[in-house]
Amino acid sequence: MDYLLHIFIVSLIYAIFAISLNLELGYTGLYNFGHVAFFGIGAYTSALLSLAGCPVTLGMVCSMLLSGGMGALLAIPALRLSGDYFGIATLSFGEIIRLFFLNERWLTKGPMGLPGISRPAWIDEGVTGLPGYLIFCILLTLVVFLVTRHLTRSPFGRALKVVREDEYVAEALGKNALAFKIRAVMVGSILAGLAGSLWAHYISYISPADFTLTETILVLLCVVLGGRGTNWGPILGAFMILFFQEIIRFLPIPADFDRFVAPIQGMVYGAALVILMLKRPEGLLPEYKE
Amino acid sequence: MEYYAQLLLNGIIAGSIYALFAVGLTMVYGVFRFINFAHGELIAWGAYLALFFTRSPFAWPIYLAALPALVITALIGLGQNRFVFEPLRHGNRITLLIASIGLSYFLRNAIRLIWGSDLQTYGLMPTRGIEFAGLSITSAQITMMAAAVLFLGILYIILTHSILGKSLRAVADNMALAQIMGISIKKVGVTVWVLASFFSAVGGVLLAVDTNLEPMMGLTNLIKAFAAVLLGGAGNVWGALLGGLVIGISENLSVAFISPGYKDFISFALIILMLLFRPRGIFGIAGGIR
Amino acid sequence: MLKIDHVTKSFGGLMAVNNVTFQLDDTGITGLVGPNGSGKTTLFHLITGFYKLDRGQIHFKDKRISGLPPHVISRMGLVRSFQQTRVLPFLSALENLMAASPAQAGEHLSSVFFQPRRVKREESRNKERAIQILELLKLEALGQHLAGRLSFGQQKLLELGRVLMAEPKLILLDEPTAGINPTLIRQLVYVIRELAGKKIQFFLIEHNMPLVAEICEKVFMMDSGSLIFCGTPSEAVQNPRVIEAYLGSEDHVA
Repeated sequence: MDYLLHIFIVSLIYAIFAISLNLELGYTGLYNFGHVAFFGIGAYTSALLSLAGCPVTLGMVCSMLLSGGMGALLAIPALRLSGDYFGIATLSFGEIIRLFFLNERWLTKGPMGLPGISRPAWIDEGVTGLPGYLIFCILLTLVVFLVTRHLTRSPFGRALKVVREDEYVAEALGKNALAFKIRAVMVGSILAGLAGSLWAHYISYISPADFTLTETILVLLCVVLGGRGTNWGPILGAFMILFFQEIIRFLPIPADFDRFVAPIQGMVYGAALVILMLKRPEGLLPEYKE
Repeated sequence: MEYYAQLLLNGIIAGSIYALFAVGLTMVYGVFRFINFAHGELIAWGAYLALFFTRSPFAWPIYLAALPALVITALIGLGQNRFVFEPLRHGNRITLLIASIGLSYFLRNAIRLIWGSDLQTYGLMPTRGIEFAGLSITSAQITMMAAAVLFLGILYIILTHSILGKSLRAVADNMALAQIMGISIKKVGVTVWVLASFFSAVGGVLLAVDTNLEPMMGLTNLIKAFAAVLLGGAGNVWGALLGGLVIGISENLSVAFISPGYKDFISFALIILMLLFRPRGIFGIAGGIR
Repeated sequence: MLKIDHVTKSFGGLMAVNNVTFQLDDTGITGLVGPNGSGKTTLFHLITGFYKLDRGQIHFKDKRISGLPPHVISRMGLVRSFQQTRVLPFLSALENLMAASPAQAGEHLSSVFFQPRRVKREESRNKERAIQILELLKLEALGQHLAGRLSFGQQKLLELGRVLMAEPKLILLDEPTAGINPTLIRQLVYVIRELAGKKIQFFLIEHNMPLVAEICEKVFMMDSGSLIFCGTPSEAVQNPRVIEAYLGSEDHVA
């Protein structure tokens, strides 16, 4: 039962993470492969603040703001690049941030990571706190879902789609394409920061190894599998991927073969991405109904 | 003073290997106009396949074991093209990029599955160094440089004096026109992938001879190759060569100034800087294989 | 209204627009003709801010627009269509039009969250306007269809509709009748005349010479990047330079 709660919690956290990437990638057409950097910035900021004595909720809010700010900072120069070069630049940025977490030991304790991150005051630590944390996550995911849905259904969301489909047309229609993209990245980064801080306070121990290319691939898969440019798609994708990931751990695998599990999982994810691109790049939930 | 000269020498040696990687990557870009994220895995697979042939039941010496490794890596490269890139080439570039990321993740985890995640070596006896002018260099390193020079020299001859090479340059310059002139795109495509795979595999083996093998070596070196490609101008073979040398030298010289943990950072930072300020490279013009 | 002043643009060694100078006063419909490759579309790109000028200046309503980004120029009332229609294929025809409305409060992040009623009001007004324009173009039955499903001619009309939504003062149309059947051409002409009557100015690139003669009051002609003629259509067909430039051209679409 506890394990089920755990799977739901991490699925919800990744749902928020996937929604945030989908806003940038699915709606605005921005291939931000460094998105995990903001997940990590959110996690570390929230963790460090709460370890320094700050109340958890306040720390989470601050981490969201910092992530959003860093997102805007990255976006302004990087968005001058065309699609796939933007992808590569953001990927590099993601790795630079990870190197920062790894090397600035005075701040982040480097590879040893930060243990003992506490839960919000009204939720218990450890296993007894799981139901409480689950409710917390459900509420936050609901809020994030409603907020992004409101945003994507608004003229702002429509303008994002215009920018995605044809930047020249957007400009010819009086829309400042760059300004829209920056705003999309900013909102996406804020939400990724929220997901990151939720993660940190749940797991209670984070290290640079939590924010690598693997996580990038994971969240990319969630978005791409579930259905780009839809509101339910990232949630569906997140639940499918995370359930798959966690249920694997449940399988009775003899100890000898234990070390094969992670690489096989990795191969499955990589193959899934390739097959999706070949066969159904729009994902499970299609954006256009007709 | 000698300290810096030694670093410079190390940098040139490393750089000649990076040049091999960069040249392959840039040729693929020049002809097919996309950055192959899975290129790094050709490097890793080349090295690991050679490892396979040095073990029982073959137990061949490393330079003999490299030969089947080259061939199999070329097959992997051709397979990548045939099954993943060729079907996607005329669609969305981003789909191609995501597919190549997925493919690289797949191949990397396949290495982990087969050979495990620990560091490995070819088990060569440490070679004696040679001292001259206060600098030391091992005979393995001399072999590395000689091999790199040899391969690059062969490439030069192919590109400038053979019909195949000239066809390659024509296709890179203007595929439609080359096709009209009767040049077989298919043949050129196969040549490019075979050359790129050979170079990557050779470089991978040489690198592993000098250092070691580990599953991330593909990605780590891809980043360096990519930085070199950007420096030289995407598609510019000689630019990529120079770029590789520059990366090698700057990495090695940098240990005198910054923490070794940030060594990888140089490539990432260079990538971002180049993309932002000089996407056409310092040495060349984007497009065409020169 | 529009002042083109010694405008020059080259690409590498190729001189696409060569020291072109002319003015559009507040007359209704002006044509821009010339053989393929004479620089007409490049001139449009320069006027609308998609290319940067090498030399020269462009003024719109006495304000300098050369050097401004395209979205700013568009907001000033100078709106263009594209030679290959660029409707957004995966939005409905109606959404295509609604997206084009200028100065929507709903496109601002703050308004989306803090001024929901205002956004809602503007959206319904927006929708009404879009439906009106669809009716003007006789496309009202296709409002909910994905724009990509429309025929080529219908897409061209939709693109004109989109331009209209942007509340333009001067409309630049790049080959509006290319590739569409005569009935739709008639409809287009009708719409253009209606709007010219409402004081919207038109500047058209066209290859359809009879059409140009029919609807344009004034005609400019470019050849190899330079402006070689300015006058009325009837003067144009008698001008030796014009005739020479078009000799051998297969672009006489009747």
